[in-house]
Amino acid sequence: MRFGGLVAVDRLSFEAARGEITAIIGPNGAGKTTVFNCLTGFYRPTGGSITVTHAGGARFRLERLPQHRIARDARIARTFQNIRLFGGMTVLENLMVAQHNRLMREGARLPLALLGFGPYMRREAQAIDRARFWLDRTGLAARADDAAASLPYGAQRRLEIARAMCTEPQLLCLDEPAAGLNPRESEELNALLRFIRDHGADGHGCSILLIEHDMSVVMAISDHIVVLDYGRKIADGAPAAIREDPKVIAAYLGVEEEEALAVDAALHRQ
Amino acid sequence: MARAASLAHLVKDAGLAALVALGVGAPLLGLKTDAADRGLTLVPRPGLLLAAVAAVFAGRLLFGLFLANRRAAAARVADAPPRIGPSPYARIGRMVAPVLLALSVLLPVIPGVGRYEIDLGTLVLTYVMLGWGLNIVVGLAGLLDLGYVAFYAVGAYGYALMAKFFDLSFWAALPLTGLFAATWGIILGFPVLRLRGDYLAIVTLAFGEIIRVVLLNWTTLTGGPNGMSGIPRPTFFGLPFSMAGGEGTFAGFFGLEPSPLHRITFLYYLILALALVTNFVTIRLRRHPVGRAWEALREDEVASRALGLSVVAVKLTAFATGAMFGGFAGAFFATRQGFISPESFTFIESALILAIVVLGGMGSQLGVAVAATLMIGGFEVFRGLDEYRMLVFGLAMVAIMVWRPRGLVSSREPSVSLGARRSVGGEHVAEGKG
Repeated sequence: MRFGGLVAVDRLSFEAARGEITAIIGPNGAGKTTVFNCLTGFYRPTGGSITVTHAGGARFRLERLPQHRIARDARIARTFQNIRLFGGMTVLENLMVAQHNRLMREGARLPLALLGFGPYMRREAQAIDRARFWLDRTGLAARADDAAASLPYGAQRRLEIARAMCTEPQLLCLDEPAAGLNPRESEELNALLRFIRDHGADGHGCSILLIEHDMSVVMAISDHIVVLDYGRKIADGAPAAIREDPKVIAAYLGVEEEEALAVDAALHRQ
Repeated sequence: MARAASLAHLVKDAGLAALVALGVGAPLLGLKTDAADRGLTLVPRPGLLLAAVAAVFAGRLLFGLFLANRRAAAARVADAPPRIGPSPYARIGRMVAPVLLALSVLLPVIPGVGRYEIDLGTLVLTYVMLGWGLNIVVGLAGLLDLGYVAFYAVGAYGYALMAKFFDLSFWAALPLTGLFAATWGIILGFPVLRLRGDYLAIVTLAFGEIIRVVLLNWTTLTGGPNGMSGIPRPTFFGLPFSMAGGEGTFAGFFGLEPSPLHRITFLYYLILALALVTNFVTIRLRRHPVGRAWEALREDEVASRALGLSVVAVKLTAFATGAMFGGFAGAFFATRQGFISPESFTFIESALILAIVVLGGMGSQLGVAVAATLMIGGFEVFRGLDEYRMLVFGLAMVAIMVWRPRGLVSSREPSVSLGARRSVGGEHVAEGKG
């Protein structure tokens, strides 16, 4: 992904396996959120390709899809680093908007739906049930009829995840979900993410791609970690291996130049 | 102690204001020039000056006391535990809509209501309908549209032209005018899909002017500035209203004495029905995914896109639906007036409709209806004030916006709920940047 003269993400290639939590980590400005924006259609990559394969075998080339089809057909959902809820709408309404495309499949019978009959009403009842399920999972059931903007910060983060899950995604992209959470909330988040990984929206599990700065969260729940620095991948592997990787340590701690050279030399000797 | 100090402070403040009033007033009010026999003479008017200064002093003092009281009350409220359950205002608020509806249905049969009142009611309802139509675009979808009157014009001219060239009756033309206006809504929507906020407003403003200027200059089709006259009046399901009476007319069929009031009453009920259809469709659409998508777009466009909403489809449906109701209202306007010209579709009309929506509280159906009644009705009530009418009217608008900065009804009713429905406070609701 290139912005004018700046290459924000350079020859990055990685795989997020189905049913796993893959974390993308890296220092500020490494290009993590840019990767998300390419994945979810906010940016169109200037080169390369991004492919999603569903459990059913359907394949989608994301860089060719219009944005609304990425969520609707390729079934990728995301959350945002700075929470983006529909603040003036209630918690439940936020979850109903997320099910827009499923509800609109009855679109041809719109006049009936306007009068309050027809199969649409059954679909809406199902949508409310699905919303209620995720409200229970995220502990927001008691606040269902409150304005989303009136929720405390941690609850807003959980609501954003619940909203993403209501689109029934195959891949859930979370941009710093633990930012600003206290340790207890962070622990609850880990449990929620494990649940999503194993059960997903339809009981078949859901892959998760995660950007996170909180290493305790990353190390606790990731199955696989990709490390970016200056738009390039510098490491890729299991959490235990990443923890030991000298390049990662160097990128994070910002070592002195000689030290970096020494690390480089050490790596070459191996 | 603090109270006395603040009182002294207020008196000092009021004295200062009185001093300024004296300074400004002395030459303006205190001296009057009279054209006497030998040139101008100055006549001092100390009494008037004194009265004005006293009025300023008293006004400033009372205003200060009012503000201090309010601050004290606010502090008390902040200390008090939050009140549980609906406030008495909310209970009264729930009564407003049914009462207004009953009043509008019964208006023509209320004793003492004559032709003037029914005509005024028709005018008010036309603006209620236009306000509700624009409310879809501005209030729900958050798209600032300054050219709404264009769709009103499309509806009016659409009906007039169809009647002239294809001899279509009002009832046959009505759905078509809505369709035309919706098409124009989409035509406007396409180029402005990527625009937001001020830029969107400017382009929609230009669109409104383009439609008007085309109507003004396409003389062969629209008659240009001379307008179009002889637009057929509506019939009562095929029965014309005629003063002559006779077999095939409304009066003749029902065995009534022919009266001009029949047509006026019929027009009143026609616009009432059209407005209620607009209201019904809007209320139902808000509970439909399409309406929820409009509101989601107003709240956060980026999040809507991430959830797989097609922003193109959402914006175009909002423009088209809003325009359609504008078109219906236009067709009604044409058949009511029997004559239309581009002069009826100037920018000030768009501004008036937008003012109704903003004053009513964006997105609130009841607020828009009340605001339309206040604005159009108020305009008539102040007719006796002649040249001061606009001044009084402007002051009233400023006062309302100071008192209720987010419109008369600022809270938002959720479209779906698990428990008891609670309205969302206006402070949470976004105004839309699109």
